[in-house]
Amino acid sequence: MTRFYSRLWLCLPFALVITGCKSSPPPPTAAPAKPAVSYFKVDPATAGSVSGKITFSGRPPARKVIDMSEDPACVAAHKGKAMEESIIVGNKSGLENVFVYIKSGLEGKNFETPTATVVINQGGCQFHPHIIGVQVDQPVEITNSDPVTHNIHPMAEINREWNHSQGPGDPPMHRKFVKQEIMIPVKCNIHSWMHAYIGVLNHPYFTVSKEDGSFTIANLPPGTYTLATWQEKLGTQEQQVTVAPGGQAVINFTYKGRS
Amino acid sequence: MVLLFTAGCRAKVSESPIGPSVQLHAPLGLPPVPIPPDNPPTEATIALGKRLFYDIRLSKDNTLACATCHDPEHDFSDPHPISLGVGGAKGIRNAPTLINVAYQSSQFWDGRATSLEIQAASPIADPLEMNQTHKVSVSKLAKDPVYRKMFTDAFGSKDVTLGRVERSLASFERTILSGDSAFDRFQYGGQPTALTPAQARGLALFINPIKGNCAACHTITPQYALFTDGKFHNIGIGVNDDGTLKDAGRYHETTVKSDTGAFKTPTLRNIANTAPYMHDGSLQTLEQVVSFYAGQGNSNPYIDREIKTIHLDGQERSDLVEFLKSLTGKLPPNLEEEKSHP
Repeated sequence: MTRFYSRLWLCLPFALVITGCKSSPPPPTAAPAKPAVSYFKVDPATAGSVSGKITFSGRPPARKVIDMSEDPACVAAHKGKAMEESIIVGNKSGLENVFVYIKSGLEGKNFETPTATVVINQGGCQFHPHIIGVQVDQPVEITNSDPVTHNIHPMAEINREWNHSQGPGDPPMHRKFVKQEIMIPVKCNIHSWMHAYIGVLNHPYFTVSKEDGSFTIANLPPGTYTLATWQEKLGTQEQQVTVAPGGQAVINFTYKGRS
Repeated sequence: MVLLFTAGCRAKVSESPIGPSVQLHAPLGLPPVPIPPDNPPTEATIALGKRLFYDIRLSKDNTLACATCHDPEHDFSDPHPISLGVGGAKGIRNAPTLINVAYQSSQFWDGRATSLEIQAASPIADPLEMNQTHKVSVSKLAKDPVYRKMFTDAFGSKDVTLGRVERSLASFERTILSGDSAFDRFQYGGQPTALTPAQARGLALFINPIKGNCAACHTITPQYALFTDGKFHNIGIGVNDDGTLKDAGRYHETTVKSDTGAFKTPTLRNIANTAPYMHDGSLQTLEQVVSFYAGQGNSNPYIDREIKTIHLDGQERSDLVEFLKSLTGKLPPNLEEEKSHP
């Protein structure tokens, strides 16, 4: 996730340069066939960030070992215990794998589609990463590094739902999600324990909390936003946050477990 | 001029085989071999068809015979995912096995030929296959004294005609029969130990509608098993990233929308020897085939309703693969190419 995220940011300034070169003002009305979209340009002089930590309060639930015994090839492919990923509490009660995104406050701004590819790999009979964020229309590549066939099935409701078989050594699949949707549950039609979730947004301001529960959303234009979190078992939360010009807002979330 | 003249005469040439017809023996597990009334197989037409089947002169550059893509070394199938024509021309499909084609009510993956006779010569003229016009094929064959004798023995005169070529090829192909496999001995031969325990479990899964559900299309009847319903189904092979289909399949023939991406159910006889699998040769192993179905294939708008959620664990998938290996029957002798005597 971190890898993808950093790549996403790398391509943003580049995209801005291109947009910046088109100095002529965009036509006032877009042609219906191919609308000339003017993309929002973040001013680096005033861009700020919001960061914080997501904490799990109470006793962290013990992570269960995934029983892959119904497919011996998966047991062999995983090499060691496969741990269930639905609630992962790290050091100092940090909650990992929470999807964090700007839910509102960016209305009216169009963001260019990143060209960086987000990779979802099926390895050791699990999806990697487990929580995935992409922008609308961003290229998504699905790979299978296992010696077994998988059948990835994003159970989308707003986007097109599909499933597709991928055997060992098969070439990557190239897909994209064309509409905003939070979150799309993903399963493997063959291996019932395999789960992932994809958040599709029409802007680049999203991330996934790290092992220590921390997150940062950078390069934000100043403004007031609703910041939302999504956790597959523990649900969603929202908070208002104001990012001053060049400011570094801090905001924390707590998910309560059983005490 | 000469060609035109002979062509004019051709209509009067009989294309009915002469001499006594031979009985094609159906091995255990197969029904009687259907024979068209106007083309009863004879020893002479079968022998002629066999020579034609292995004859590279039927291709434009004398490099390919029918047997190139329907390779007897691979139980009359093609190990290349997509079969290659003259000059490396790439078709779009994997040449299917010829095993038990005698029983099929239509030929080709899309069923565009309604008989073996109609099918037999069309790859010869297909630009992506042997790429030689029938006129050229006929004249090349007519130059060979061995053929002149064989056509005379088979049809009563030395004339080489397209119809005679087609009928002979079809009669030879009808002899490519496979039955009497371990499965047949278990199912129809009263030998309960013919299948291993894993294969017997695989058979149970194969016919169970809520497990493998394979027999929904790969038919097994109480009397015999062809392992095909002869119908066309979209099982989700060849689906593009946007959900469209690479090859419209049966739709090309019927222009019925629901036939989009549908292909004829292939036989499973000798399936262990006929990799790769599916109309585009996209699956390399039986394990992959079984897993493909276990995962409900690839979604697309025309997928067959029999492709449904099933659950097969690793053991069950392995049992199904073992069962498929029990369908390998011994092919009759005399199908291999005759080595010419000096």
